[in-house]
Amino acid sequence: MNATYIRIEFTRHLRDGSNLLFALLLPAAMYLLFGTLPGYSAEEAGAGNVKFYIMVSMAAYGAAVSTVAIAGTVATETMQGWGRQIAMTRMPAASFVACKMFVATTVAGLSSALVFVLGASTGATVADGWIWPVSYLITLCGSLIFACYGIGVGMLFKSESALGLASGLLVFFAFFGNVFMPLSGLMLDIARFTPMYGFVALARYPLMRDVPEFTGMAPDALWIPVTNLVAWTVIFAIFAVAATRKAKARQ
Amino acid sequence: MAKTRGMETQTAAQALTLSGLTKTFTGLGDTVHAVRGIDLSIPSGQIMALLGPNGAGKTTTVDMILGLSTPTAGEVEVLGLKPRQAVLGGRLSAVLQTGGLLRDLTVRETVTVIAAMHEVPERVNDVMERARLTGIAKRKIAKCSGGEQQRVKFALALLPNPDVLILDEPTAGMDVMARRDFWASMREDAGTGRTIIFATHYLEEAQSFAERTVLMRQGQIIADGATSELRTLISGRHVTATLPDAQAVAAAEASDSNVSIVERNGLRVQFSCQDSDRLAARLLGELGAFDLEISAPSLEDAFIQLTKDPS
Repeated sequence: MNATYIRIEFTRHLRDGSNLLFALLLPAAMYLLFGTLPGYSAEEAGAGNVKFYIMVSMAAYGAAVSTVAIAGTVATETMQGWGRQIAMTRMPAASFVACKMFVATTVAGLSSALVFVLGASTGATVADGWIWPVSYLITLCGSLIFACYGIGVGMLFKSESALGLASGLLVFFAFFGNVFMPLSGLMLDIARFTPMYGFVALARYPLMRDVPEFTGMAPDALWIPVTNLVAWTVIFAIFAVAATRKAKARQ
Repeated sequence: MAKTRGMETQTAAQALTLSGLTKTFTGLGDTVHAVRGIDLSIPSGQIMALLGPNGAGKTTTVDMILGLSTPTAGEVEVLGLKPRQAVLGGRLSAVLQTGGLLRDLTVRETVTVIAAMHEVPERVNDVMERARLTGIAKRKIAKCSGGEQQRVKFALALLPNPDVLILDEPTAGMDVMARRDFWASMREDAGTGRTIIFATHYLEEAQSFAERTVLMRQGQIIADGATSELRTLISGRHVTATLPDAQAVAAAEASDSNVSIVERNGLRVQFSCQDSDRLAARLLGELGAFDLEISAPSLEDAFIQLTKDPS
């Protein structure tokens, strides 16, 4: 990995206002908005309180958006010829991908960490201390499947505005994936098939795992979110490979 | 730099060797023969122009020389190495036509980051000065003109201090002033013993900068020689006249070893010659020709003549 390249990549993302807004500030703001409402947010939820539940949800959303934004730049930069410029240097292609992964994971990690810190300082609690780091790690690792989604969209449309659209679509996925607010009935049934459902359900699993059935907030059996996550990982991976092939063929 | 004698002979021999280089693109249903078997040797230190119209296969050839694409058949050797090894060793570098810059980086950031990838961070200031970028170091790439962006790419190509430098249409999209500027900074760099190969479709660039010109058309080399030879090849005059009979045509053609027939349409004949005054006098005098015209072919004419499709 190349330290100078990583430093300049961070500078670029920090200078990019919309990136900063969607990846870092929006999830934090949404947590403050929904997570700290007096009324319900201090109520119990599973092993902790509703604040903790909302904190994990927003952190998951933030991590996914960050990953999409940065993974997407891999695609657009490759298509715009920056990849060829790099190919003329001593740096191997694997190192380019490693640098981007590092930047994506760091920004996703920062975005989630910001929400977790806000949560901790505004009264999100959970009975067992280990649930904090485990929820955080699931959030971070799970968000990586959205890298494939970002690369796919970037390769398909080759433009930065398409990436904006991809992030926007993620908001939609989040609503329909039971991320922002608890869904029920038919909506929830549909939600089980959407890409963010498995990811966020797993991130909340440590918190919600002991909620008894038939209480409305009970989690699905573990195999449902796991299947969802695996299925969407495969779908996004195929999408990324297909879009890359198509883009390379048109070159 | 102390080099062993053996290495010196090796590097002095050939900077670049292409043998039977072929590239065929197979798409859905149609096959494009972009490069159809090129053989070329370029000695070290030579400045060569690869001249040809759009679609002649110049960029495809350049891509294979750089190892960015794999030949369908044939081989590329750069300084006795495979292209990829030459690139990784910093001995081969290029200004790519299709290479892109990141619009949100500044000029200095761009040079710095690529220098880091070449592992030569100490060369940043040097190449920025050589490509005359010091004055616009803090400008964002998005705010740079086409000419300035080409100069940035030129600086990036100079970073590894390569022995072989390839420029693919380096002045594409520049206005006349920017082109002149670009070649001025190129000229400052030339004479350092670097082998320079540039693809272009501007004749005057080949004429004013290259010692050797290779003409390409439809994926093949159709002419290869010293640029000055290419110019003498067309330095003569064309004399066109209508002659009274076939004997007169034969007599006119035999009058001088420099005289040859370019085009013949019945008794209307176009000759090429070195001394047009003498040929004209002879044609009008003893050979009884009439309707005589004298013209000077331009390099453009020669170029069109050489590169036009046979169809």
